[in-house]
Formats: sequence, C-alpha cells, structure tokens
Amino acid sequence: MDNNQGSKESSDRTELVSEDGKNTKSVLCQRCGSKVLCPAMAVFTETELFLPSMRKKSSLSTTEGSVDGDNLTAHWLVDDMYTFENVGFTNDVGRIKYLICADCEIGPIGWHCLDDKKKFYIALDRVNHA
Amino acid sequence: MDPRYDIPRRATAGGSGGSANSSPAMGPQSRRRKMPPRPADFKLQIIIIGSRGVGKTSLMERYTDDTFCEACKSTVGVDFKIKTVELREKKIRLQIWDTAGQERFNSITSAYYRGAKGIVLVYDITKQETFDDLPKWMKMIDKYASEEAELLLVGNKLDCEADRVVSRQQGERFASRISGMRFCEASAKDNFNVDEIFLKLVDDILSKMPLEVPNKALSNSVLSLQPEPEVPPELPPPRMRCC
Repeated sequence: MDNNQGSKESSDRTELVSEDGKNTKSVLCQRCGSKVLCPAMAVFTETELFLPSMRKKSSLSTTEGSVDGDNLTAHWLVDDMYTFENVGFTNDVGRIKYLICADCEIGPIGWHCLDDKKKFYIALDRVNHA
Repeated sequence: MDPRYDIPRRATAGGSGGSANSSPAMGPQSRRRKMPPRPADFKLQIIIIGSRGVGKTSLMERYTDDTFCEACKSTVGVDFKIKTVELREKKIRLQIWDTAGQERFNSITSAYYRGAKGIVLVYDITKQETFDDLPKWMKMIDKYASEEAELLLVGNKLDCEADRVVSRQQGERFASRISGMRFCEASAKDNFNVDEIFLKLVDDILSKMPLEVPNKALSNSVLSLQPEPEVPPELPPPRMRCC
C-alpha cells in the first residue's frame, strides 16, 4: 500500500462520501471500467479487512507462506448482493468469498464472509470512482 | 420469439413432480429475507452448463488476458456473478452460475437447476463429443430444472471455424426438437454474440412474465450463497465419459 498520500486520500474521501454516508459517485473497475455500484447504493464504512494483492506476481511471492496483500480499512458496504450492478464472487476461501470484477475478473476488490450474509464490502482503494 | 409451447417439451420430466406453477425454488432462507430497497426490477438466475472445455467460463468474461489475480482465477475460481442488463426499460440483475469444474453430469447439484430461470447449454463446434453429450445434459434439465426455464443452446468457438465438426444445421436441428429451445453460435473469444446470448435469454424470460408481477415473486428464486451440497437422488448412472 502506498500511504504517501494520506492527506490527498482523505480529501478525496470527503468528495466520495455524501452527507448521509453514501457513495456520491459510481464505483468502477480500475482496469476495465465495469460498473460495480451506482451512486448512493452503498454506505461508507471503516473496518479492517485483509485482501490478497491484485497483482499476480506479488500474490505469488509470499512472505513465509502467507499471502501477499493489504489490510484495508475504507470500504463501501451493501447488505444485498443484488445491490451490485456487476460483480463476481470467488469460490469459498474458508468462510470468505472475495469479490472481483464481473467482466475482467481482476480482484479481489472486495470481501464477503459467509457468516454474515448482509455484509458485502468493496475496498475504496481497489476501485475507481466516477 | 414464440414463447408458447405446442409440444410437450419434456416427455421424460417425471422426476420433478408437482405442478408447473409451484416453484420449488424458494428456500426457507428467502422467506425470512426482508425486502431491500428495490435495487432492480427483476432478479433472474441463469446457469451455464455443458461438457468440459466448451468455453462456459469464457462466455461470462468480456475479455481475457494474463493479468488475472492468480489467487482468484486459477486457485480459487469464480463461483458466480451478478450482472445487470437493461431491457424493455427494466433493470434486470442476473445471477449467473458457471458450472465449470463440475462437468460430470451427476456432480452439478440439483440446487443449481432448481432456481434457474434460464439455462445456457454450451457445446464446442470443434468437438463432436461435446455435441453428443447434449442429450445427457437435457436429461438433467428435464429432471431438475423448472419446466418454465428458458433454454438456449450455444455452439461455441465460432472463431475456430476451420476446425468445425458440428454443422450449424446439426445444432439447429437439435434445438428444434426441443420445444422452446433457442439456438445460436458464438465465439466467446471474439465476444461474438455473447452479449446477445444473455439479452436474448433475458428477453425470453421477461416475455413469459406478466409485466406487473409483484417483485416478491421474482426475487426469491435465488439468494443462497451456498447451494446445498446435496447429491442428486437416484440419478441414472453416468455411464458415458464426460470429457
């Protein structure tokens, strides 16, 4: 993770989150632009979740058997999978399903735990907003 | 385009029992579910079936390259996708199940079939055996799927025309013998006809629905993230090889 742009990020964030805590913009795939969420469909939430790296090479190079990835805290949260415009779900990894782009399958862009069927997270850092 | 069924489509559909109107799809879970603020007008479940290697997965992808997250793609694999299409001024969410990796006829659980409003049956125009397998897939459909499910037969790999062994006419003929089954050829590689496939299927499904169906009736066909891992009961022994 680059954390060299903290201030920029937080100013960006106020642009992205509306007064009632929802996404002001559409949420798009960073690679192919596929639309993941329409504006105002998700709620901003902060919770720390581990997402494996999006880059193939680094996800393979592991540090002592652990998967390379990021602990991300800023997420869009929805409570129904049908809120998404387009999204893919991986097979289960333990009790986790990772969310990926439905069109180009890049990911993980988000996280869902089978123990809580009403929480689907999309990491802000792993998507574009427009 | 004619949504009517003149010929009984599934002569062998003894196993499913029950009337055509009682949907067996809703599980206890869906009944408990509260209605969310309507994000879409319709929610439809579609499954993609067919023998190994016919390109089912690539029908779900817009394009492919080698930058996929290894963890997602190769190791973990995609379970299902939510995709949105707009048709007839309605927004329709599709939940698309790709059954890749479960190609043995008896390994796809009946849960996949039960809730499906649309079934895409795929073969490879360059591999005779994938075409020869079609009757066995139809048996599974007859046994487990709703009789109202829309069927679409897809001859895939049109980009490999030079290696074609199954003629377009053969595909058409197969589909014409099954009442209500549509047919098309496609190339997932070139993305030829792929979007059309889904739109066509969805259009067929919608045309069979009264336009003002209560949202409830449409939304409860799906929703379980874990199709029950039940083994389909008393299956005919799969005596043919599957790939």
